[in-house]
Amino acid sequence: MAIGRKIWPVQGDPLRRNPSRAAKPRPAEPGFERWMWYFTRISGLLLVLLAMGHMGIMHVLVQLTGQQINFAFVLERWGNPFWRGYDLLLLVLALLHGVNGARIIIGDYVERGGLRSLLVGILLALTFVWLLLGIFVILTFNPDGAPAIGPFS
Amino acid sequence: MFRYRISWSQLAWLGHRLSGIGVLVYLFMHIVENATLAFGPGVYDTTQTFFRNLPVRLGEIVLMAALVYHSLNGLRVIVMDFWPATTAWYRPVTYAVIIGTIVAMIPLGLIMITPYAPWNGR
Repeated sequence: MAIGRKIWPVQGDPLRRNPSRAAKPRPAEPGFERWMWYFTRISGLLLVLLAMGHMGIMHVLVQLTGQQINFAFVLERWGNPFWRGYDLLLLVLALLHGVNGARIIIGDYVERGGLRSLLVGILLALTFVWLLLGIFVILTFNPDGAPAIGPFS
Repeated sequence: MFRYRISWSQLAWLGHRLSGIGVLVYLFMHIVENATLAFGPGVYDTTQTFFRNLPVRLGEIVLMAALVYHSLNGLRVIVMDFWPATTAWYRPVTYAVIIGTIVAMIPLGLIMITPYAPWNGR
C-alpha cells in the first residue's frame, strides 16, 4: 500500500523518540509525568485482563447462558467478595487510566495556562465525585437484599 | 481537502484516542446507572428495562469494539515502548491490530445481537 509516510527507521534522539507512536514518549525527566507514563502502561496491562473479563462475562457469557442482568444477578455476584474486589479494582484502575488519558489529550490541544488548568480542574473534580460514588455503590451494596438507602427502599 | 492522505499509523493513533474517550464517557454513565443499585431492586430492575432495546445493544457492540481495539493497540504500545527493536514490525503489527479487532468483532457482534436478530424469531 503506497499511502502514508516512511515510518521506519525512527529518526531523532533515541531518548526522546516515541517508538510506539500511539501515545507519548517516556518523559525524559523523572517526576509525576514519568510516574503516570508507567502507570498508564501497567494499569493498561491489568485492564486488558480485567475489562475484557468483565465484558466477556456481562455481555457474552450472560447472553450465551440466556441470563439477564437484574438485581438478583448483582446480588449473587456481589455476594462473592472476589467479584466485589474485582469490580472495585476495575473501577479504580479504569477511571484513573481513562482520566489521565483525558488529561494528556487536553494538554495536547489546550495551551498551558488558565484554560488548561480550568479544564483539568473540572476533570479532576468530576473524577473525584464519580470515583467516590462508584466505590460507595460497590462497598455499601447489601448482600442480604435489603436496599441500603433511598426513597424507594 | 483530499490532498492530505492520512496514514494507517495516524489512524491507529486517532483510533486509540477516540476509543479511549468513548470508553471513559461510557464509564462515567455506567457509574451513574449502577448507582441505582443503592435504591433497591425495584428501581434497579426498572432502570435496566429501559436499556433492553436495539439501540442500546448496538451501542454496547460499539463499546465492545472500542475496548477490543484499545486493548490490542495498547498491548502493541506497551511492547514497542519497552522493546523499541520491535518497532521494526510497526506496520504489520498495526495492520494485525486493526484486522484482529474486525475478526474478533464478528463472533462477539453476532453473539451480542442475538436477542434482536431476525434469525431469533423477531
